[in-house]
Amino acid sequence: MSEKITFKVNGRERTVELEGWERGLDVLRENLGLTGSKRGCDDATCGACTVVVNGEAKKSCVMLAKKLDGADILTIEGISKGKKLHPIQDALIESGAVQCGYCTPGIVMELYALFNKNLAASKKEVKDALAKHLCRCTGYEAIFEGALLAQAKLKKKT
Amino acid sequence: MSRPDPIREDEVSLKYVGKNITRSDAVKKITGKSVFLDDIKLPGMLYTAILTPPTAHAKIVSIDTSAAEKEPGVIKVVTGKSIDFLFGDNVKDRVPMAVDRVRYIGEPVAAVIAENPHQAKMALKKIEVKYKALPVYIDAREALKKKAALIHPDSGDYWHLPGMGPEAKTNIADHYLLKKGDVKKGFAEADLVLEGEFNYPFSSSAAIEPHGAIAIHHEDGGIEIWSSSICPFVIREDIAHTYKLPVSSVRVHIPEVGGCFGYKSDVTVEQTIAYIASFVPGRPVKWVASRKEDFLSTLLGHGIRTKFKVGVKKNGKLTALQTTILHSTGAYVDTGLHVMRGSTHNSTGTYEFPNCYLDGYSVYTNTPPVGAYRGYGHQESQLGMERMMDIIARKLGMDAFKLREINYLGPGKMTSIGERLWESNGNVKKCADIVRKKIFTGKKKKEDADYYYGRGFAAVMKSPKGAPFSSKSCYLKFNVDGSVSINMGGAEVGQGLRNVVRLVAAEALKIDPSRISVYTEIDTQFSPWEWQTIGSMFTMQGGRAVVRAAEKAIHQLKKTAMMALKCDYDMLEYDGDYIFLSSDPGVRVSVPSLAQGYMTEDGITVGEVVHTTSDARLPRYSNPDANGQGSFGVTYTFGAQACEIRIEKKTGKIIVDHFASSFDVGQVINPVQIRGQVVGGVVMALGSTLYEETKFDADGVCPNPQFSKYRFPTINDAPAKQTVEFVETPGKIGPFGARGIGEHPVIGVAPAVLNAVYDATGIDFYEIPLSPEKVKAAIDAKGDNRCPKK
Repeated sequence: MSEKITFKVNGRERTVELEGWERGLDVLRENLGLTGSKRGCDDATCGACTVVVNGEAKKSCVMLAKKLDGADILTIEGISKGKKLHPIQDALIESGAVQCGYCTPGIVMELYALFNKNLAASKKEVKDALAKHLCRCTGYEAIFEGALLAQAKLKKKT
Repeated sequence: MSRPDPIREDEVSLKYVGKNITRSDAVKKITGKSVFLDDIKLPGMLYTAILTPPTAHAKIVSIDTSAAEKEPGVIKVVTGKSIDFLFGDNVKDRVPMAVDRVRYIGEPVAAVIAENPHQAKMALKKIEVKYKALPVYIDAREALKKKAALIHPDSGDYWHLPGMGPEAKTNIADHYLLKKGDVKKGFAEADLVLEGEFNYPFSSSAAIEPHGAIAIHHEDGGIEIWSSSICPFVIREDIAHTYKLPVSSVRVHIPEVGGCFGYKSDVTVEQTIAYIASFVPGRPVKWVASRKEDFLSTLLGHGIRTKFKVGVKKNGKLTALQTTILHSTGAYVDTGLHVMRGSTHNSTGTYEFPNCYLDGYSVYTNTPPVGAYRGYGHQESQLGMERMMDIIARKLGMDAFKLREINYLGPGKMTSIGERLWESNGNVKKCADIVRKKIFTGKKKKEDADYYYGRGFAAVMKSPKGAPFSSKSCYLKFNVDGSVSINMGGAEVGQGLRNVVRLVAAEALKIDPSRISVYTEIDTQFSPWEWQTIGSMFTMQGGRAVVRAAEKAIHQLKKTAMMALKCDYDMLEYDGDYIFLSSDPGVRVSVPSLAQGYMTEDGITVGEVVHTTSDARLPRYSNPDANGQGSFGVTYTFGAQACEIRIEKKTGKIIVDHFASSFDVGQVINPVQIRGQVVGGVVMALGSTLYEETKFDADGVCPNPQFSKYRFPTINDAPAKQTVEFVETPGKIGPFGARGIGEHPVIGVAPAVLNAVYDATGIDFYEIPLSPEKVKAAIDAKGDNRCPKK
């Protein structure tokens, strides 16, 4: 029944003992206390649970926990450095994209994976990435503006 | 009629109000460090899973929990058979768990308490329940039939607030009738009388954070609750009543709330979790809804059918309005009746009718309870009114803007409930002119091979739907360095009220917002009392409370400064940093040196610690009189919305290219946040208009309680362009003239789109959501698409 998995989270190696029923999100939130990733639905539709797994944005609510074995995971807790926020975080705050904040960490991680892979992503590609996320507060306008601003900030940095 | 307005004269001198500042909660939220309900872990915490029935209306014949009790990790299995109380804030008609019957598909039937949520869910499957089916009613029209079974056979015995509540031996949960003038005479005077029927079906508020609660019955008798709610003080009072405790023995915490939009108001899941937790005293019990439970075991929205009969003279003057508002209120009404009441008395929309007969019913049915949803009844009836205005204009051969202008409410006009309006209530025509210019300038695009094009308009009105005692309170303290801490009971659900508090306090205290810190959570043990954070009232009432507390604090500072400076009170002035002698500003004493009393040279200290309390309610809010009239609108926000759409011929899909909104908000407090409220509200209501519907089959089973099946707007559904502009006619209640805005953006969206659809296709639609299939079928049939009558 019980099974051990070992993986990297936010640069640190962690070992977790599973009972077998857990999903990736359960391991992050319950076993490791990384509660920044949120549960919003149970069928990989809202995107609030999005984390970066081996460089790809993944919805952790439906991911079998044992598939995390050997993976390299980045969560919202791992992208800012102390009080210094990641440019994506700065940009989303600047554009007014934060309202209730529940969908926000998932969106940050989606954009992180997107811009890491392709900083030259077109507006449509940015929109397509954001279309994997549901937000009830903002009507998406400020999120989209924030994403484009983040892209500009990151381009300037490189 | 128009009175001099000192606030307007002050407007130019506002230093902080009207400026953008970064939200004080932004960094915690964007780093994932904000604590929401599901992030809370308490020592010794247990978890519960809740069993719901397979059919919506049935008698419970038997429940066998013996197998579940033996499952791993199970501490207790709970049923409702011994429950001997009812709860509710307006009508006590609810039980925390089914006793001998189930009335809706999400009703708790039994619960397992276990060491972890997985064990609780697994054990739930071992509970065996036998039911005896009862007839299921989804629509109020079915439940109203003479032979319909009673969903609440004892409803006549239920406790309720005076003047509202169920009619015994029927499924009517509340009836509200409003009479103004003489409606018969009004129709007799009319040259044209037109009727229409409209439907705004069920949908879900569907915040991304699911609802939930944690409850613990302490061994010493107190009860503590954590909830993703906006009404901690109502929960506290209701739980205290149920468990026969002093209100002070119940403590309710509200952590960060991940969106509300209505359904996390009112006492719902908290009573269920408190009941379950009562079986394990000393242990906290946690429950967070799955998405399915969030759809079906909390509150639904809308579910309102309306009938309109409008009388109008040839010259466009409206003479009479008769409406019937039929609210399918679900299994329990409690506070939901106010949605119907708000829908009924606001069914006039933004127009003055000298004669009204507005008749509203909340009717028990077998769906989840249908209650608060952003807009609170206004969008449902104003869908009808705004469609009627376009249709009437067409029949009269009159420009629809002109017809509206002849009849707009405004200074000197009287609402259905008999409230006289003043200039300070705002200007709907100014808003209408703004969106008209944005959307209707130039010629409409001509139909081409792929698309029909159309433009539509709707005017909007909303009152708060408060209560006589609906206060918001403020506790303000000056710290020893002159910085200020403010504590209030308003729930932050994303709308940004903490920034509103900071900006209003900064303005009132003449200090920089960075020196003002605002509470981050609500705890009824420490937070000042607030009724609940509903009705788009926080900026207005909460802001007024902040100004009052600030004025009291300045008064206290001056009283101490009198002693420090040895002068009369009326010679003192305050500038944020100092209290000084107005005749000689060089004679002054700093605010920090007064904050905790003033220490004289020999160390003897005089004066009070500077901390103040205040509250603000809706002035002279009254209950309805015998005609259903009274002073219970109190304040109104007017606005207008319009859109340009395209309809794809091949599929019937409606594409909103440009949506424009304008509201007379009195005074913008924070430009970025207020735009966010409007833009977000428009997209939410486009969801209702075009896609969203919480469906129920004949057994009351919902086939789409998942985001993957419930079509929720994504970024691809948002209009390519939104224009948002505000009119600022200062009001008399809110801080610096500000009025409410949170709910208003959802009200005019459906009628604006449906009016645009007529403009594009010549087809009248009377109900939503307007799916591509429906539009395509109607275009193909080239027919008139009347709301189906049964």
